[in-house]
Amino acid sequence: MSGINRRTLLGAAGAIGATAGAAALVNSRMAKGQTVADVNAFMKEMQSIVGEEWAYWDPEGLLPYDKAYVPEPTDQLHPVGAVAPRTVEEVQAIVAAANRFRQPIWPISTGKNMGYGTAVPATPGQVVLDLKRMNRILEVDPDLGTCLVEPGVTYQQLKDYLEENNIPLWIDVPTVGPIASPMGNTLDRGVGYTPYGEHFLFQCGMEVVLPDGQLMRTGMGSIKGSTAWQSFKWGYGPYVDGLFTQSNYGIVTKLGMWLMPEPPAYKPFMIRHPNMEDVPAIIEAMRPLRVSNLIANCNLMMSASYQLSMFKRRDSVVPDGAPLDDASVKRAAKANGLGMWNTYFALYGTDETVAAIEPVVRQVLTASGGEVLTEAEMGDNPWFHHHATLMKGGLNLDEIGMIRWRGSGGGLAWFAPVAAAKGDEAERQTRLARQILDKYGFDYTAAFAIGWRDLHHIIALLFDRSNAEEHRRADTCYREMVSRFGEQGWASYRTGVNTMDLVAQQYGAVNREFNAKIKQALDPNHIIAPGKSGIA
Amino acid sequence: MKRLASSVSAVIAVCIGGSLWAAEPANYPAPRAPEKIYAQTCGYCHGVNVGPVIRGRELPPEVTKAFVRMGPNAMPAFRETEISNEELDALATWLQQSEADPKERGQ
Ligand SMILES: Cc1cc2nc3c(=O)[nH]c(=O)nc-3n(C[C@H](O)[C@H](O)[C@H](O)COP(=O)(O)OP(=O)(O)OC[C@H]3O[C@@H](n4cnc5c(N)ncnc54)[C@H](O)[C@@H]3O)c2cc1C
Ligand code: HEC
Repeated sequence: MSGINRRTLLGAAGAIGATAGAAALVNSRMAKGQTVADVNAFMKEMQSIVGEEWAYWDPEGLLPYDKAYVPEPTDQLHPVGAVAPRTVEEVQAIVAAANRFRQPIWPISTGKNMGYGTAVPATPGQVVLDLKRMNRILEVDPDLGTCLVEPGVTYQQLKDYLEENNIPLWIDVPTVGPIASPMGNTLDRGVGYTPYGEHFLFQCGMEVVLPDGQLMRTGMGSIKGSTAWQSFKWGYGPYVDGLFTQSNYGIVTKLGMWLMPEPPAYKPFMIRHPNMEDVPAIIEAMRPLRVSNLIANCNLMMSASYQLSMFKRRDSVVPDGAPLDDASVKRAAKANGLGMWNTYFALYGTDETVAAIEPVVRQVLTASGGEVLTEAEMGDNPWFHHHATLMKGGLNLDEIGMIRWRGSGGGLAWFAPVAAAKGDEAERQTRLARQILDKYGFDYTAAFAIGWRDLHHIIALLFDRSNAEEHRRADTCYREMVSRFGEQGWASYRTGVNTMDLVAQQYGAVNREFNAKIKQALDPNHIIAPGKSGIA
Repeated sequence: MKRLASSVSAVIAVCIGGSLWAAEPANYPAPRAPEKIYAQTCGYCHGVNVGPVIRGRELPPEVTKAFVRMGPNAMPAFRETEISNEELDALATWLQQSEADPKERGQ
């Protein structure tokens, strides 16, 4: 026992204790009108489909499904059960039973939607449909650079497979690749940082279990003998793949994707800007480089505070309770080789193409007031190393350190409003975000993901979830950001299970009604993921 | 221009070698050894400043298992579908008996 400290014991006691305490919670997790007997009956049916060991509705078995980082002070959102099929036929049988029992089910692939709800459903009373056991890589075509995967395949698994088989194709990862999945990330329209970073753009073909249990393939997939399912996105007639992203219209059981051929040359860069006020200059400089595709990957323009939060703790920058002032941040950033804004991009191609583009890019970015830095200057700086890894589809979980920036209580909600890639918009968003965060005593730990023509302003609302008052304050702050950004014409590209309805409201009544009509037509019993993206 | 052509054809040559790589029959991955799970999951956080060092501390297996299934505070929780009970038992025992790695740091 020598190596174990008091905190570990406390943590473990908490972990073990929670198991016992959870029994009392089961009732409070039910949806209106749902009874323990309803859940029991459905879960027994699930056992008969997937086998006894893969259906959970005891408090202990449900614990890992109940982990959340998002603020949810009213404590309504918990699953009542979980079921983990291994085959498409089992998924179909589960959907049939869900219709018979009128039991809503919430599909996840790897369930690591951290800061957006992890595996937790958007309304009470749902059973999580855990597809992690369906984890086969069905096909990789090295000539076409395509693959077909099941939901439970992680980025780690795909990368290992490519390496073990010497296939010179890259993957493109969100920052949390090792434990997350191409399927889950793409279906929530997530992003990564190689030229294939806008994941849904590089998706090609799906197999979907529809709410009535039918199995549909999109694109060329329903043509017998077609070899183009993973090569031609559009198929014939209405293009429907988008209907199955950020939605609750079906359960995707296979996903096709394009993989980027490993380029002969890869050169990562960092541009360091000294002041918070440099936002518009950076965006204005980056836009033409992105629109022309001279810079082809999705860039991360990281604020110093976001960068520091990854590897440092807040109390090493300012004393506990003090506001995070720019001067202190600047000091800490400088000591770590960082500026107030740090923008990462890479050039991909051959030595010749990189050498041809580099001077153009350098000229534009130097004129914006930034220092253009490469491995030659940055060496093994941990931040440079982190981004250089990401931009070639490498794996790490470094960024999760940010959840410990402010106390150890594990609170994170991503607020991710979209803007056109214009400097003045980015500047106005930054100002508004800081104003609201300041008002509630939270930090502006934010980044801009610079897309082809858009910005995802990625604001990490970091809070101590173990502090009840701070938890409530984070919730109020998040909601105020959604509505006040909405008033300015800015809405999120994606949100957590705690705020799906609120964000759907920003997009207006006609759009909501359209989504509701499709839902009613496809899923009249509303058994698949009610509440997802505000669709009942 | 000559080098450009030769680099591109190098890539192409490697690709052709594989022709159509259908992973048939596509098998489900087998249970993984503790070292592999540590390297591909825990070790991305523990020992690199995201989480505390957990090797060489003789942590009781019950503590490890409780943390993995619950995911307290900043740590994510891992389900049986991600790390099976069998894998977790072996991992927890391996961790208890593991030596500290001087290269790891943690807070
Ligand atoms: C520090 C940190 C950094 C992050 N960085 C990034 C980033 O760079 N880019 C990014 O995109 N995200 C990022 N995230 C957010 C998130 O962790 C990732 O997006 C992650 O990939 C999502 O989890 P997952 O892959 O396990 O998907 P899942 O949780 O399995 O799925 C996500 C959602 O998609 C739907 N869904 C999943 N599978 C199916 C299915 N088969 N059929 C129908 N619907 C389905 C469900 O609504 C589900 O809730 C970050 C999180 C943290 C904490
Ligand atoms: C994404 C990062 C991450 C991953 C992956 C992760 N952990 Fe953790 N782990 C943490 C953090 C952060 C803590 C501290 C939690 C707290 O504040 O109570 C922690 C705490 C622990 C503790 C308690 C240690 C102590 O001194 O308090 C154990 C044991 C543990 N983890 C085991 C594991 C095992 C085993 C795995 C792999 C299956 C794993 N963790 C994967 C982040 C992670």
